[in-house]
Amino acid sequence: MDLRGKRGLLIEDNGDMRASLRAQLATAGLEQCEVARNIKEAVDRLHRARPDLVVCDYNLGQGTDGQQFLEMVRRKKQLPLSCAFLMITGENSYEQVATAAEYTPDDYLLKPFTADKLATRITRVLDKKAALLPIYRWMGTKPDPEKALAACEELLTANQRYALDILRLKGELLPSLGRHAEALAHYAYILTQCATPWASVGHARALVALAREDEARSELEQALAAYPNYLAAYDLLAQIIAKTDKSAAQQVMEQALKVAPSTQRTRELGALAMENKDFSRAEAAFKRVVDKDRSGFFKSQDDFAGLAKSCVEQGKTTEALAAIKDLGNSFSRSPELEARQAALESQAHAKAGDTAAAKAALERALTVSREAKLDALTALEVSQACFSNGRSEEAKALIQYVAENHHEDDAVLARAQGVFAAAGLHDEGTIFLEATKKRMIKLNNDAVGMAKSGDIDQAIAMLTEAADRLTNNAQIALNAALALLMHIHRNGADSDKIAKAHRYILQAIQANPDHPKLGEVSSFYRKVAPPDAPPLEDV
Amino acid sequence: MAEQIDALVAAAIHDAKNALMHLDTQLAEMACRPTSADFSAARATTSRIAGQLTELLTLYRAQGGQLRLVIDDHDLPDFIDDLLVELGPLPENFQLDCTRDAADQLGAWAFDAYLVKLALLDALRNALRHARSRVRFSLQTAAQGGLCFEVADDGPGFPVAILAGESTASSQGTGLGLSFARLIAERHATPAGKHGHVVLANLPGASFKLTLP
Repeated sequence: MDLRGKRGLLIEDNGDMRASLRAQLATAGLEQCEVARNIKEAVDRLHRARPDLVVCDYNLGQGTDGQQFLEMVRRKKQLPLSCAFLMITGENSYEQVATAAEYTPDDYLLKPFTADKLATRITRVLDKKAALLPIYRWMGTKPDPEKALAACEELLTANQRYALDILRLKGELLPSLGRHAEALAHYAYILTQCATPWASVGHARALVALAREDEARSELEQALAAYPNYLAAYDLLAQIIAKTDKSAAQQVMEQALKVAPSTQRTRELGALAMENKDFSRAEAAFKRVVDKDRSGFFKSQDDFAGLAKSCVEQGKTTEALAAIKDLGNSFSRSPELEARQAALESQAHAKAGDTAAAKAALERALTVSREAKLDALTALEVSQACFSNGRSEEAKALIQYVAENHHEDDAVLARAQGVFAAAGLHDEGTIFLEATKKRMIKLNNDAVGMAKSGDIDQAIAMLTEAADRLTNNAQIALNAALALLMHIHRNGADSDKIAKAHRYILQAIQANPDHPKLGEVSSFYRKVAPPDAPPLEDV
Repeated sequence: MAEQIDALVAAAIHDAKNALMHLDTQLAEMACRPTSADFSAARATTSRIAGQLTELLTLYRAQGGQLRLVIDDHDLPDFIDDLLVELGPLPENFQLDCTRDAADQLGAWAFDAYLVKLALLDALRNALRHARSRVRFSLQTAAQGGLCFEVADDGPGFPVAILAGESTASSQGTGLGLSFARLIAERHATPAGKHGHVVLANLPGASFKLTLP
């Protein structure tokens, strides 16, 4: 492969290394190469340069690393799968790169190496990317898993060379279409051909999706005996165990952290330790996360909140208030930040017995929450502060609003359950949240039923009322759009209804760009909307 | 005290290994200019020493419970290409027959390429040292499933004590390579409980088989 027409991006914080790598890349034929010294520059260059290849050093300074960068840009789909990512590591970080769970580099190269070796690796990885392009094409920002699967099948019959890579992609695509039984059979087939860690974990994941969690658990335990540092196996195992035994899940997470000290896992460990009332462990975990990243790029408000709350629970009011102050200094001002700080402060004062200060802080939080639409986690923080101040009814009203908006989001519902549990209302929370979830499902089902039986106007009225109230619920917004489109489909175009349907689809994208029904409703919109209707491609 | 000394030894080995790897890279760059036999020989020496130190360090880590394999999919044709490049030019009048049909057919396999490559390089160098003129390197699927690499030569074969498992060291070697190969073969495992292994035989020339599950 001729590298002369290819565009590269080199990310390396050390000046000497950067110059030397730049020279090696030029020798290899990669003449068009942008350079970035840190993650901020890398994100910026990535948008501008649209590279075919990223060469990134693992250690990027300021407590950040190339793996964090890779995970962030792949998750946000800022780095298309067709772009190759080559990680350069020293021996010390080699294990961490090679065992990365979800987003792995396309290849990694151990220092030191010659320009020849670098060229060989680049050529190989670009050859593979080119061969798999027909699949990646459908796995980008406008994904079409059906078409991607069809491309897998086509390539499998034609291509012996990258068969295992294609099988791996196929295994990732099947569950995204809800075809879990097929995914299970697929992974079982792969495992008869060769034992490879990702296939073991894929098989276990399919078992979980099919509600066969006990089997998944024992498979993962066996997988970890064979591959004791395969992090994806720890992650899935901890996830399964956490449903029934949070303290065992915490232990699994501790083991995973011994393999590789990742920020995300330390964070999850902190959350588990909080639930297990292991507050000193939680404090240590959150403190580590907050202190580690000195670039500020991967900081999350949640980390500071976790640190503050673990201190509150141990009666360390001064430390808690310091963490809350630190939270304010680490992010730019916003209503959410203000509400969250006030809610946390209120909890700290309440725990310390200072009811007047607790009440004053809570009032500040509630004022913001009435004026601005808060995100789910901030709203839950405010509701926890309500509980701390003995104001359960306001707490529950806030939780209900969050749960109705996010009834499909298990992570948010689990957090809501956590707020109930922290207030000593575990059982009541379970019933409350279950009822909310059922009510939302019923609302959707009733409306869809009405629309199907011909009463579209009534369905539209129900769904648009709900969609206007619950702006973060993607499913409701999509069903509202669907009902409007069905009306248009039957009765002909109506510019008001078209505009509304368009708005609800945008609202759904805003709430959850990965919602499984989004593709279907968008296609229906494109089918029934007249040529002068607002286009969806611009989204 | 013993622990302290062990740690010092490990640190010293680590430093020496890194220095040699660096020298190896520099020499490799020099070798890109008009080739000289001296350069190639020096390279062969440094990569052999770096390899041996890495093997020693790996055994040391294993003893302390610190050895972790990095199992990942590797393209077998690429792996064999890399292996032969690292082996470097053969001594004069030596022939290496490499059977790679199975590699093309299998495509990829999951294993620790870094450690397996070291073991195979050591076996190949050993075979080149003892062969009269020919070394055969092949790869095939093992009868009970798994992947089998074989290095065979037309030399006098292994000493009886090594074949009988009474010793790993021959009069010309430390036995490090064989201990290392056995260790990393054994550490390759599957969730079904299969492990890798090393089998030695005289055919009558020496045959070294490393099987990965």
